[in-house]
Amino acid sequence: MYEELLARLREAIVNLDLDASKSLTKECLEKGIPPSEIVSKGISIAMEEVGKKFESSEYFLSELIVAGEIGKEITQMLKPYLKESEIRKKGKVVIGTVKGDLHDIGKNIFGMMLEAAGFEVIDLGTDVPAEAFVEAVKKNSPDIVGMSALLTVTMGEMENVINALKKAGLRDKVKVIVGGAPITEEFARKIGADAYGKDAVVGVEICKAWVEGKS
Amino acid sequence: MPVFRKVEIEDPSKLVFGIAKHPLSYGLGLKIGQGEVVPEVKFFPKAISEKDEEAFKKEVESITKDILDRAVELGVGSLQIETEQSFMETKNPRLVAEVTNIQKSVMEKYAGEYGIKLGLRVTVADIRDFREGLRHTAEYNLMLEAFEKAASNGADVLSIESEGGKDVFNYSILRQDVRGILFSVGLLGPLDMSFLWRDIVGIAKRNSSIPGGDTACATANTAMRIAGGVRSMNIPHTLAAVVRAVSASRSLVAYEEGATGPGKDCGYENVIVKAITGYPMSMEGKSSACAHSSLIGNIASACCDLWSNEQVENIRLFGGSGPQVFLEILYYDCKLMNRAIALGEQNRLRDMLVSSDKFEDPQAFVLSPEAAVEIGKAIVSEKGYYRRGISACFKAVELMENESNLRLSPPEKRFLLNLKKVLETLPDDEDEFREQMCKAFYGRVQTFRERDYWP
Repeated sequence: MYEELLARLREAIVNLDLDASKSLTKECLEKGIPPSEIVSKGISIAMEEVGKKFESSEYFLSELIVAGEIGKEITQMLKPYLKESEIRKKGKVVIGTVKGDLHDIGKNIFGMMLEAAGFEVIDLGTDVPAEAFVEAVKKNSPDIVGMSALLTVTMGEMENVINALKKAGLRDKVKVIVGGAPITEEFARKIGADAYGKDAVVGVEICKAWVEGKS
Repeated sequence: MPVFRKVEIEDPSKLVFGIAKHPLSYGLGLKIGQGEVVPEVKFFPKAISEKDEEAFKKEVESITKDILDRAVELGVGSLQIETEQSFMETKNPRLVAEVTNIQKSVMEKYAGEYGIKLGLRVTVADIRDFREGLRHTAEYNLMLEAFEKAASNGADVLSIESEGGKDVFNYSILRQDVRGILFSVGLLGPLDMSFLWRDIVGIAKRNSSIPGGDTACATANTAMRIAGGVRSMNIPHTLAAVVRAVSASRSLVAYEEGATGPGKDCGYENVIVKAITGYPMSMEGKSSACAHSSLIGNIASACCDLWSNEQVENIRLFGGSGPQVFLEILYYDCKLMNRAIALGEQNRLRDMLVSSDKFEDPQAFVLSPEAAVEIGKAIVSEKGYYRRGISACFKAVELMENESNLRLSPPEKRFLLNLKKVLETLPDDEDEFREQMCKAFYGRVQTFRERDYWP
């Protein structure tokens, strides 16, 4: 009985049907399924399936993001019934496009994929000066800082941000990942970043590995 | 102001490069859409720091000279230079005046000495901060001042890539939310443009400049960039194609407020706009690979009147500076198109350019001359921005569905079916749609405020 209801919930999430996912979650609660099981046997398994569909090019990245949002929304419904340890975020990431650069597509995709993966994301927007990154790190104590740049004339700003973090004594408290069209592995190494995210998918995997203590 | 109720170019065979129904003459003897495709070069200076205005001015002067020197070497007869301002420039109208003046003076010198026909397009950056509002803010006023300074200091053509609705679009596109996309591109964008372009056209008239046009770069090109290459699965390419179709109804608004072309290069939707208005258009395609990749490199040139490189950094290459090298590439593309016109073979060349891309990707397919005219007709058959946007969506979907040669993967086909279902649930009435969408996005997109569009 429980299993059938949870299967329907998983199906609704995989089919990206928000309304059905919400009403089935409500039904699961009414039938007395423990909220932690709704998360572990419903939402998490469905999200894994959506992830596999994306990896096998059956689903688009946008559909992965939509599934993440559905997961987020129904987890919110369960929040009052879950213990703090059960709803803890995977990690916190401050992201932004560096000063002088207004391009935000890559940064936005990265941010949304991080959220879909369970991270809390603080998006500072575009044209973000080094001081704003420093302030955000001081205020939010993130695990990771992610910087993006599209222009060769602005990519140098990433080094300024890293230097500003050093100067403020914050560099050792965060991992730094950089990305964007002109960025390379070598450039990332040269400016003292911890990693280069070739694209959003790779970037999120790196962040996940960091917070899970795998690297 | 004209309100387009029918397309100016009904026969797709008349939608061809170098020839516009309503051609233009301006600048230093430049003729656009009169049987010749003209190269339009755009550059990106290295010195964009506000700390060193002198270095910036010197670099722009030297880039302009570099371009014109190469033009003289190659024997280029007609050329347009576009200066697309950075935020730093637009925020400093005095600098805009100085830079425009410097460029125009150099251009006048070359026109006088070598008889080269020249035009200068200045594109003002949309520096508005969505958090502060879109109308009559300090940034808005600075933008108008930048237009005024550019126009009064020698800009022949004024353009912008306005960003109304972009915040809602950004939220919607990555969630493939068709309603949000239609709201942002089909309704918010046009409302914002209508307001903005009245001011731009007024400035152009006062200064005898040409109000060029606007593009959906902030939205449709964002969709195109996210869609990526043939193997990319970021968003459905059919969705990016539909965004492009809707964006034509958006970019059309500038012309209904008094712009006359030439439309700006990054508006890939310009082929549809040209079908509707008959005004000449600048386009970019393979020539803009220096700035970004696309799957519409050849088809984009099929109906262009100016052929542009989008923007190239002022770096040194073996063949000269970036702008010089790209002028040369553009020039030879234009020479080929112009030779075809001279031989009366323009439609043959156009058809080859079209067919080389047309069935490779839905984004190319909706820009074929036949599809452009059909989408154009669908847009002008409706009254009101919202209805026009829906009509463009339906037509694009219908054309893609009915074209068996268009290669669509199973996920693309699945998405197209879902998209159609969503379109069928949309209300007919604009007010009802507005109410639904304002409710949906208020709070979800922090910067979205109804009063920016309906004061």
